[in-house]
Amino acid sequence: MNLLLAEDYLLQDYPEHITNTIRSGHSTCVRFNRTGDFLASGRVDGTVVIWDLETMGVARKLRGHSKNITSLSWSRCGRYLLSACQGWKAILWDLQDGSKYCEVRFRAPVYGAELHPMHHHQFAAALFEEQPMLVDVKESAQGANPVEVRHILPSVEKRSDDGADTPTKEKHAKEDARHMTTAIVYTATGEHLLAGTTKGRLNIIDATTHKIIYSEKIAGGVITTLRLTESGKELLVNAQDRTIRTFKVPDLTSADLDPDTIQIPLEHKFQDLVNRLSWNHAAFSSTGEYVAASTFNNHELYIWERGHGSLVRMLEGPKEEQGVIEWHPHKPLLAACGLETGRINIWSVTSPQRWSALAPDFVEVEENVEYIEKEDEFDIHPHEEIQKRRLDAEDEDVDVLGGGGAGGGDVAPFRMPVLFNLGESDSEEEFVNVGLGTLRRKSPDDQDDGAPASEGRPPAKKTVTQRTRTRKR
Amino acid sequence: MPKARASPAGTAAEPPHPKRRRLPDDDANSMPRYSSPAEDMNRDEDTTEYPGRSRAHRPLARRDRLPTSPNRTRDASASRSRSRSGRSRTRSTSPRSDEDEQQRRYRSRSSTSSRESRSRTSSRSRSRSYSRSITRSRSPRSRSRTRSRSRSSSIRDRSRSVSPSRFQGRRPSKSHAEQLRPNYRPRLELSGHTAAISQVRISPDGKWIASASADGSVKIWDATTGNNLDTLIGHMAGVSCLAWAPDSNTLATGSDDKAIRLWDRVTASPAHACGDESNRGQGPREYIRGGSQLARTARGGRTGMGPLLGHHNYVYCLAFSPKGNILASGSYDEAVFLWDVRAGRLMRSLPAHSDPVSGIGFCCDGTLVVSCSTDGLIRIWDTSTGQCLRTLVHEDNPAVTNVCFSPNGRFVLAFNLDNSIRLWDYVSGTVKKTYQGHKNSGFSIGGGFGVVTDNKDTQDDYRHGNIGKPFVVSASEDGDIVMWDVVTKQIVQRIEKAHEGVCFWVDVNGDTMVSSGQDCTIKVYKNVRRKKHDRRLKFDKPNGISAIDGTNGHGNGRGIEINEAMGDDDL
Repeated sequence: MNLLLAEDYLLQDYPEHITNTIRSGHSTCVRFNRTGDFLASGRVDGTVVIWDLETMGVARKLRGHSKNITSLSWSRCGRYLLSACQGWKAILWDLQDGSKYCEVRFRAPVYGAELHPMHHHQFAAALFEEQPMLVDVKESAQGANPVEVRHILPSVEKRSDDGADTPTKEKHAKEDARHMTTAIVYTATGEHLLAGTTKGRLNIIDATTHKIIYSEKIAGGVITTLRLTESGKELLVNAQDRTIRTFKVPDLTSADLDPDTIQIPLEHKFQDLVNRLSWNHAAFSSTGEYVAASTFNNHELYIWERGHGSLVRMLEGPKEEQGVIEWHPHKPLLAACGLETGRINIWSVTSPQRWSALAPDFVEVEENVEYIEKEDEFDIHPHEEIQKRRLDAEDEDVDVLGGGGAGGGDVAPFRMPVLFNLGESDSEEEFVNVGLGTLRRKSPDDQDDGAPASEGRPPAKKTVTQRTRTRKR
Repeated sequence: MPKARASPAGTAAEPPHPKRRRLPDDDANSMPRYSSPAEDMNRDEDTTEYPGRSRAHRPLARRDRLPTSPNRTRDASASRSRSRSGRSRTRSTSPRSDEDEQQRRYRSRSSTSSRESRSRTSSRSRSRSYSRSITRSRSPRSRSRTRSRSRSSSIRDRSRSVSPSRFQGRRPSKSHAEQLRPNYRPRLELSGHTAAISQVRISPDGKWIASASADGSVKIWDATTGNNLDTLIGHMAGVSCLAWAPDSNTLATGSDDKAIRLWDRVTASPAHACGDESNRGQGPREYIRGGSQLARTARGGRTGMGPLLGHHNYVYCLAFSPKGNILASGSYDEAVFLWDVRAGRLMRSLPAHSDPVSGIGFCCDGTLVVSCSTDGLIRIWDTSTGQCLRTLVHEDNPAVTNVCFSPNGRFVLAFNLDNSIRLWDYVSGTVKKTYQGHKNSGFSIGGGFGVVTDNKDTQDDYRHGNIGKPFVVSASEDGDIVMWDVVTKQIVQRIEKAHEGVCFWVDVNGDTMVSSGQDCTIKVYKNVRRKKHDRRLKFDKPNGISAIDGTNGHGNGRGIEINEAMGDDDL
């Protein structure tokens, strides 16, 4: 609704400076929900913290993991959140009451787990030194805990080497056993999975038959990140060969899809040829127009424009290497986790106050305009006449009900309950620098509540710049 | 120079000078008033410099007294003289003899005779300058009257021609429209408060009614039975405002003790009180223990986390964001505060106005906040950045005492002290409709939008906002409740003499309407759908409110069912 009053020049496409730093323990990964009002962050101690981006405060804390959280994935409705940790576990949370909807144990640490884009009854997980899994969560009829059904997914395409001799077969089998999936995502419809492997191959797996329908080597190293845009037409691949690649994803949903004709054309390669930087993590912007990446052993965030493949901005932040980076689903806003401190830094745009908004009879002009007085400008009319004329002019039809946000969809959107006790219970370590310089420390003794002591954190967190607030806004 | 324009209050023949803010000598002697809230905060303790100015001149709730009885107000509030008004210091240089009168007028926001206001406005333009910080927002008033009028009328013309068609109303068929006329009939009368009731609101789920009173208490009522479920005691002074959280489980109240309190509806205790997380995981509903027994006793006070403190003067208006995570408050300290509800933390303070903030509201998607003030300005703020996006001011600059967004968030309804309610298109900055016919010249009265639908499941229809016919409802100072058709501006129903004295607040939720007034009672109405054949007959009849007027007083804290009123209709 505020867009109705926004000016065009305020609508910038990519973030410019760091606007907030929020912190709860040591965060290792973050993820926005689909509507962009909440940010989930996973901590080193296994706690999942959900931030309300409107208030920049903690909305909920979820405890259940005991190890570093490696990935987070929101359901479409925003009610369920899937978190995966190094402790061989993935938990599907119901945010209505903060309970575990389903907990799945694996036989290995989890690289990443991704929830089905349409519903919360299926997710895929990439495991460390294990084959990836597809987990169906079936609700049991009598209201008991949901049961999960696991399907092992292949990492390597079946070889058609029937005619080959035994040594070759053995060699292949050995190779295949070392070939692991490191990243897995759903396509936009959820009918297929895209998986990246340790050898830089991209596999397309049918989610119902669990078969690889397409496989190609796209990178020279381990694929660490796979990302799709909201439309699912562009794929972002980060690999350990210091290159970020974008691909066009063909439409895989058509009925007469022939696996042999699938082509995934490379669109851009983003790399730093001078410094040979490697990239920690990469993300698409909301529209896919930009690609942002955090750099290894470096403090900057890089933003490329995807149309021409050119670098448009290097974001400076705190003097800290950034890990996981996420772009807000519809705003020019980036969130990234600092690797050393575990703070979540948020880059955004700050639009200037339009002074004419405060005084309605003022207009902001570029240069002087000569005012031409109207003929009747200073005519004096009786008050009653003016009043009458005014009222008569109000003959327009107005609609105060429809056309706005009041029109609900088919399903009522999930509304996260507002909890009051978070401030008291355990958030001593919460330390929030709310935009515009309101620095907040919850408690004078600000300690860790769970992060390992080895995390070298400055005792007094004063590195965050504090801007003086301009009262003249 | 300002003295040259003598205060009209000095001349006996003239009617009392109405609006304190318009007094010319304000400019000379009340500079601190126009300072930004930042400065205000620093001067928090300054009130001690004026020991003579006691709070005594302000009644404990501004709606608690008739404008014609200044003596009574002084007596009533004399006991409260220990707390001082932060505002009174600004008037320290005004002549002592005038002061009482001024304050009385100021607080009661009495009417502005149009002639006076005009002359004053035009004369003021000479002395005003724009060099003062715009945030103080005095500037719009300083322009020459005639000029501004012609200018804004041209704006209106333009905006009309470009007005987007998608917001054009869908007019139902004629007979349908006739059937969709509001027909609210009295159903319950709730009594229990001992002083005037400044606000009454129905919870979003329609099950509860909360009332805020000048007696310092807040009561929660069952909307169907009228039982008084809880009395929330904790405020040290009259309660001016309240707001329901969207989940209907939390209530926020704002008081003249400068504090905002959050209450758990179920336990009737402060909502911040409990730190026991394991118990709390399932949300507030877990607190249902002991049920009604527990709920009947009056509890409250200072267990656990305290109230939201930060305002430097009376808290006057409150609104929850649609998600329930932000609470907006407006105060006599002229600032709008946005609070993080979860943490109970002040998130943002907007230096909003140059007079007390009298009304506040969120739009349906929570991205905009509207605030209004007796300085005549309506400002629209971006919730996320805290920036002012638009300022709406009418040519006549009447004081605005209450404001809310339309259900779709495209318009702003403003209650002005010139007996008018105006519907603003805030994008174009023009008045689309003016509703008149009620009386509002001195008090902050309330109202809002309602929707009449042709089937019983109004809850859903209202939330989805698609079916039905909207109307504007407002309280009136003569005790009536008036309803207008949004488009035609015609009065579609008038409930006469709903309250003795002033009716302060009306709230509508679906088929339920509730009103409160100076007579310390709350009345609940139900919309009775007309049958097609007898709709004309029913309409002109006053709705039998007078039949229940004698019931004040008995029924202690209970609702009285009014059977007769519903009996003759098609229920």
